[in-house]
Amino acid sequence: MEEKLGGYAGKFLRVDLTSNRITTEPLSRDLCENYIGGRGISGKIIFDEVKPETDPLSADNVLAIFTGPIVGTLGLTSGRLNVSTISPLTGIYGNANTGANWGPELKYAGYDGIVLTGKAETPKYLYIKDDRVELRDATHLWGKGVMDTTNILLEECGHEFRIGAVGPAAEKGVLFGSIIFDFWDAAARSGVGTVMASKNLKAIAVRGTGGIEVARPKDYREVAMEGWQALLTDPGFKTQEHPALGTMVVMSWENALGSLPTRNFRETYFEGASEISAERFRDLYNVKETPIPAGRACMSCANRCKRFGKIQSGKYAGTKGNIEFETACAFGSKCGVSDLAAVFHAYMLANDYGMDGISCGNMIATFMELYEEGILDKDKTDGLDLHFGKADTMIEMIHRIGNMQSELGRLGAKGAYHATKELGNGASYYTSCIKGMDTIGTDPRGAIGFGFGFAVASRGSDHLRAHPVFEMLRIPKEIGKELFGAEITLTGYEGKPQMVSWHENYAALSDSMGICRFMHASYYIQYPIPELYYKYGYRKESPHSLKFHDWLAVTTGIDMDYEQLMKVGERIINLERAINLRVGIRRKDDTLPERFFREPIPTGPAKGRKVDKKRFEQLVDKYYELRGWDKKTGFITEEKLRELRMDDVLSELKLRGLLVSGQHSAEISGVKVKKSEKRQSGAKKAGK
Amino acid sequence: MGKIVFNPNLCTGCRACELACSFYCEGIFAPSKSRIRVVKMDWQGVDVPTGCEHCEDAPCMLVCPVKAIYRDEDTDAVLIDCDTCIGCKECIVACPFGAIHFDGRKGILYKCDLCFGDPECVKWCFTKAIEYVPDVEILSEKVRAKHASKVAKAGEASRKLATL
Repeated sequence: MEEKLGGYAGKFLRVDLTSNRITTEPLSRDLCENYIGGRGISGKIIFDEVKPETDPLSADNVLAIFTGPIVGTLGLTSGRLNVSTISPLTGIYGNANTGANWGPELKYAGYDGIVLTGKAETPKYLYIKDDRVELRDATHLWGKGVMDTTNILLEECGHEFRIGAVGPAAEKGVLFGSIIFDFWDAAARSGVGTVMASKNLKAIAVRGTGGIEVARPKDYREVAMEGWQALLTDPGFKTQEHPALGTMVVMSWENALGSLPTRNFRETYFEGASEISAERFRDLYNVKETPIPAGRACMSCANRCKRFGKIQSGKYAGTKGNIEFETACAFGSKCGVSDLAAVFHAYMLANDYGMDGISCGNMIATFMELYEEGILDKDKTDGLDLHFGKADTMIEMIHRIGNMQSELGRLGAKGAYHATKELGNGASYYTSCIKGMDTIGTDPRGAIGFGFGFAVASRGSDHLRAHPVFEMLRIPKEIGKELFGAEITLTGYEGKPQMVSWHENYAALSDSMGICRFMHASYYIQYPIPELYYKYGYRKESPHSLKFHDWLAVTTGIDMDYEQLMKVGERIINLERAINLRVGIRRKDDTLPERFFREPIPTGPAKGRKVDKKRFEQLVDKYYELRGWDKKTGFITEEKLRELRMDDVLSELKLRGLLVSGQHSAEISGVKVKKSEKRQSGAKKAGK
Repeated sequence: MGKIVFNPNLCTGCRACELACSFYCEGIFAPSKSRIRVVKMDWQGVDVPTGCEHCEDAPCMLVCPVKAIYRDEDTDAVLIDCDTCIGCKECIVACPFGAIHFDGRKGILYKCDLCFGDPECVKWCFTKAIEYVPDVEILSEKVRAKHASKVAKAGEASRKLATL
């Protein structure tokens, strides 16, 4: 008999909403060793169980919610969970990640994850209390906002429960619906909430009274403390800027660098940034008056980046919640709005409707630019004045999109990619979408590596697949040279493919274990970076570092070294590539919107910068070379899949004619799923 | 006179204390087995660490019909003698802090024992929302110092005003 792995609960729930059948399945050791958990395992389930022809909003799509082996233990930032599906917004691999307490609670209940299939006839919510798992009636919750739903369920189930819920926007079919956990923590990107709502599942309430055993309890404490100390002694953390101000601190950082998207993506410097800054939020709305103003943390995290605030008076009195940079940027600088109260209110409205704030804000910003450019006619806006900076219009648009009211609301519900396509007349030029997903609050022209990361990200334009802030920080050049073979600068092209692929592998691994991105791609406290600082004399004493391999070993008993773990990360990236290849993603899709190549930044510190198309294509070439992908098509080579021991993926891709051999990569033929058709199907659903 | 001091204003709600406690006392990560609990009020954005206050006039000790609850001589912690305890759970009802718990599987009641004077939870609270004070007299000294500095500042301000 196989030795049981530590850390894992060892089984996951399979809930078929069509037949009301709930079963548990064991998590195989093979799956754990190859894909670890979270993003890896949920991705594998999507690859195995969803056919590429599947309509994302049909009963055949699968929603897989998974935690990782370290989730719910004392290691640093162990509160993450991942949701994978095929996205209705993009038609490709969809994935969202969130923190806090819901994921750990699921593990205490005895499950590593939940796989949701089918579609219920009437609205349901899933009730989980340890061994007791049942689908309960949710007709009384249907149509209610996320906040009401969560409060009602806490009353119904008990205040010890953790609630993940979708909002009315997702129910109505807004393509970028989110799942909101415990009021404020959103798994939002890719429209995962819309998929959940399409299954007629309103919420999941979890309570677990069990515990998690680790493989080597004697060593665990020391390894966990080493991780905590790595953060606590990090010079970046010691400045306390991030913990004291939260992610909103990025607003002024980006503005100073000239990479803060402003008025959609017209400019990259926002004159009103100080009006909507983290400092102002702290001074005006933070609830607690302590040395750490209203800093709240996810489970087992010292960084406490979540800002909780409340508006006490004025037009938006009563608005409260956690504010984060990305959505604040989408409703703030991107819409040209410098009224912090309006931005905060807009943010919480989007949360209550259960919409991805980034996609929603981007959609409105795009409408605003189209309006100013004269592409969006006045007759389409029902008399709304959509000029940049109009806070009231922005708020009205959130209501319209969330309720899918009026022509513009219904159009906006499809997301910027589909909406601008439908508008025609050159509207698509003004979106920041890559593979159907909107770009976040960093302008690619201001940070080349970040932009490159957007282009190759597996869930469409996305910063968190790589999050290479390495180029933005003043990290000694020797470290860049040693890791990526070149000196890394913000605007340079050298070493960027190496930098992005290394970051991507690390991110895939950390999402699969259940660790927060900030630890390994903001503070850089993970092996081998603190060691390199020490090696080149930038740190005096032998530094603490967060060693993923030690951590995984003491938790689960799976012994892998750093190199082997990075291979796991690479395997997950390739798995996601395989999912995307099956739905029609090719090399041509790994690019930036034309605007970033064509228009130089008009104002601010980064004035005059744009992305050089030729050099950018060279980055893609180099990146493919590093990844072992075919430069012409973007297919994965047979050799790479063999090297990563992904035989099942290999045979599936071969069957579909989506495989090349490294030697003969020029000759390709095979079945191609028309991407445009796939994307349309989702959009049609939304429009009905 | 040892005591764990709870300061909700400094609590970030990370629950590392719960994890550290359950791991140290039970060998597993299980907040529902922790002696210290963080009450997370997400809707209000507030987190409050709670646990045994090791009361001087401990209600649990008073209501225990078999005198299973006693005070430790070294640490002054209020402890339960599991051999004497009959599991009537009167102490759970009596405790004003909800600091006594019942383990249904083991059939025993359990509570914070201050880790015999070296509490594990405190070692994982880096914002000092929970602190172990071996001698509570130090506490009042701290409060006095804080109060004094406030008075001094106020005095300074009033002097400044007077010179205007």
